[in-house]
Amino acid sequence: MITIDGTMGEGGGQILRTSLSLSLITGTPVKIKNIRGKRRKPGLMRQHLTCVRACKLVSNAKVKGDELGASHLEFVPGEIAGGDYHVKIGSAGSTTLVLQTVLPALLRANSPSTIRIEGGTHNPLSPSVEFLRASFLPQLNAMGANVELQLERHGFNPAGGGAIVATVQPWTSAKALQRTEAKMNGIRAHAIVSSLPRDIAVREIDSLKERLGQDIESTIDVVDSDGPGNYLAVTVEYDSISAHFSTFGEKGVSAGAIARGLSDRVRRHLKLEVPVEEYLADQLMLPAALGAGVRYKTGELSMHSQTQLQTMALFMPDLNVELDTHGAVTDVSIQP
Amino acid sequence: MSSKQLVVIGLLGSTLDSGSKPSRWQKWRPTVSLFQHEDLLIDTFELLFQEKFSKLAHLVAEDIASVSPETTVNLRQVEFEDPWNLENVYTALHEFAGSYDFDLDRNDYLIHITTGTHVAQICEFLLTESRRLPARLIQTRPPQKRGANRSEHGHYTIIDLDLSRYDEIARRFERERQDDLSFLKSGIATQNSAFNRLIEEIEKVSILSRDPILLMGPTGAGKTQLAKRIYDLKERRHQVAGPFVELNCATLRGDQAMSALFGHTKGAFTGAMKDRPGLMKAANKGVLFLDEIGELGADEQAMLLRALETGRFLPMGSDREQSSDFQLIAGTNRDLREQVSSGEFREDLLARINIWTFELPGLRERLEDIEPNLDFELSRYSDRTGTRVTFNKEARSRFVKFALSDSARWRGNFRDLGAAVTRLATLAERGRIVLEDVDREIDRLLATWRGLEDDTGSSNIAFLRAMKGDEYVENLDRFDVVQLAEVVAVCRTAKSMSDAGRRLFAVSREQKANPNDADRIRKYLLRFDLEFKEIQAFG
Repeated sequence: MITIDGTMGEGGGQILRTSLSLSLITGTPVKIKNIRGKRRKPGLMRQHLTCVRACKLVSNAKVKGDELGASHLEFVPGEIAGGDYHVKIGSAGSTTLVLQTVLPALLRANSPSTIRIEGGTHNPLSPSVEFLRASFLPQLNAMGANVELQLERHGFNPAGGGAIVATVQPWTSAKALQRTEAKMNGIRAHAIVSSLPRDIAVREIDSLKERLGQDIESTIDVVDSDGPGNYLAVTVEYDSISAHFSTFGEKGVSAGAIARGLSDRVRRHLKLEVPVEEYLADQLMLPAALGAGVRYKTGELSMHSQTQLQTMALFMPDLNVELDTHGAVTDVSIQP
Repeated sequence: MSSKQLVVIGLLGSTLDSGSKPSRWQKWRPTVSLFQHEDLLIDTFELLFQEKFSKLAHLVAEDIASVSPETTVNLRQVEFEDPWNLENVYTALHEFAGSYDFDLDRNDYLIHITTGTHVAQICEFLLTESRRLPARLIQTRPPQKRGANRSEHGHYTIIDLDLSRYDEIARRFERERQDDLSFLKSGIATQNSAFNRLIEEIEKVSILSRDPILLMGPTGAGKTQLAKRIYDLKERRHQVAGPFVELNCATLRGDQAMSALFGHTKGAFTGAMKDRPGLMKAANKGVLFLDEIGELGADEQAMLLRALETGRFLPMGSDREQSSDFQLIAGTNRDLREQVSSGEFREDLLARINIWTFELPGLRERLEDIEPNLDFELSRYSDRTGTRVTFNKEARSRFVKFALSDSARWRGNFRDLGAAVTRLATLAERGRIVLEDVDREIDRLLATWRGLEDDTGSSNIAFLRAMKGDEYVENLDRFDVVQLAEVVAVCRTAKSMSDAGRRLFAVSREQKANPNDADRIRKYLLRFDLEFKEIQAFG
């Protein structure tokens, strides 16, 4: 049994989720103590309980301590089983985080799976469905996996009420991946509004164009969902990879200010001339270890990425990780 | 952390929870907000609503299902005509509380008090406070405008009405209780554990009960003082509005007793020159302390019983009943049960006043309290006279040694001690009590007790006769009878044979390196065909 200290690195929910994923794919029982030890309200919150239970569901695991507020958890995975799964998560939790936690396991199952997750699909502080579809999944599939993700209904914070469905085929033949070139093909902007005036999206796109160039491609979607919501994203397209940046409209903050914040992040990324942005850098690490290895160029590694590597090293002592830093650029190589 | 399920019961807020458009998600709705907290997992929600808000109730339930798929929502219809009418709302909620199946082994319950009218909140509070709703309260608040702990879903607070669960409040209660205990003991730091336990019980009873209290104990044990302290404690707690009225029943006889207690009308008897309301009336809403209640005559006992049972009584010579709402504290130094069997005291009256009975020990059973009481009496003297009086060291130690010794009989208990201190303090020159003062006082005390000694001697012999029979006593020398009776009397009250030995051989044992008191007693008793056990068993 591996013991994980939840106060290491970023000290939040990510350590828990990564540990659960790794426990499932390596078949190693894990004990996590001081769960979310660096958070103001430490311990298991509702969304984390949902993740734990989803992991239990796909692997018939034995779990001790899965109670609200618990700071210790013991997770002994059973055999991963493909199948049709259905999970619901409260609005504060995100469907995408649940998916990310169980996805590595489902890739390792012997049979295909469909998992339908209801709840928030566009929540701050979690990857959006657009990010997964535009940026993460194409890379995963390029490594030889076969995962499809559908957005059935948008679910914005706080109303929730959305649904995603992922179809996962067993990952049989892994390919190595190299993403070191940043040859840009174009920039796309995307705004979504639900139960809010379309005009907000129009002003956001206008503002983005002012700062990123009038020639960028743009789409506006007015969607139906349970509550109001506004999502704004910019995708930088490179040869064979995209960098996706997103933000949310906020009551009392102008469309211009929202767009400005987003375009600043895009510009900072463009200056680095690397194909992999901060969040994708973090997300590619686990598949790299599961598959046939990955090499990529990104900016400075975030605290999240560092914690991710730290946690992975505990489960996979033979993992070969090389980090090569040149100024603000990091060359990452992860080989199983 | 508990593995119990969490059940919340809450009224639908017809205003605060309202909204049917998507924009309802942009405002704070207390009921929905309950289910948006990441650190609060509610398994079951009982949503109470009125039929006219049925549509809203269903929408709120749907929204809860969306933000909290973990929760089961039950819709419960309750009707009250006017949500601002306390009687209406209380009745409806009381009915809900009575019909709802609370399973406290499996569930923890919270009552959400943020929604509903203020009247509804008051009703929820009352029902929870009285445990008709066996729950804690949960209050929700809208999001703060700014601040580090800002949450978009607002905030919640769980309020437990069991105040003893809060450390700070519990400490305050404990301080208050200690104050009360110390107050009952007049601030005397008594050491005797039996006495301290007794005071703790009296404190509880004084605060919680208005039933009669019976204080038993020998004369001078402090019954009157304690009765007054109980009254003062009640007054501090705003539990009495009337005065403390005391009467020693032994001081009155016949008409006089009747009239003093129950009052009379003008001309009710010879000498009744004008109306007199009587002490019972005077004690209305207060406390009536009847000391030596065993001395009360039969008529007075009957009248008192009636007054205790109905709160009503008839003044002498009057045909108009009076009423008085008083709490009775009775004192006695006699065994009332014995008086019942001899027909001197009404059995039903004893039953009525024998609810909270406390037996105050005499001073000889509280030897460890002599010093604290000595200090208390000294400071009381100082307060009374404005002159500070102190013992010199040797004087104090001699007095204490005497007070603890077996020659100090303390027949009048704390009254004797108080009187001794008053005399010592009064006669002390320049506020200093010296050895000579103490020696003179010891002589005085011994003389007082000796005056009563004959009595004791004969009653000790009577006890010996009762135990062994007349023939046994007649077959002994007069010389032996006196000594044996005294030994038996000491054995009777001693804790053990060694204790009896220590008292009986207090002087001679000092000269022995290895005094075996128990053995001396056993051998002495054996000469008279007696056993220590036998004496104690006889009582």
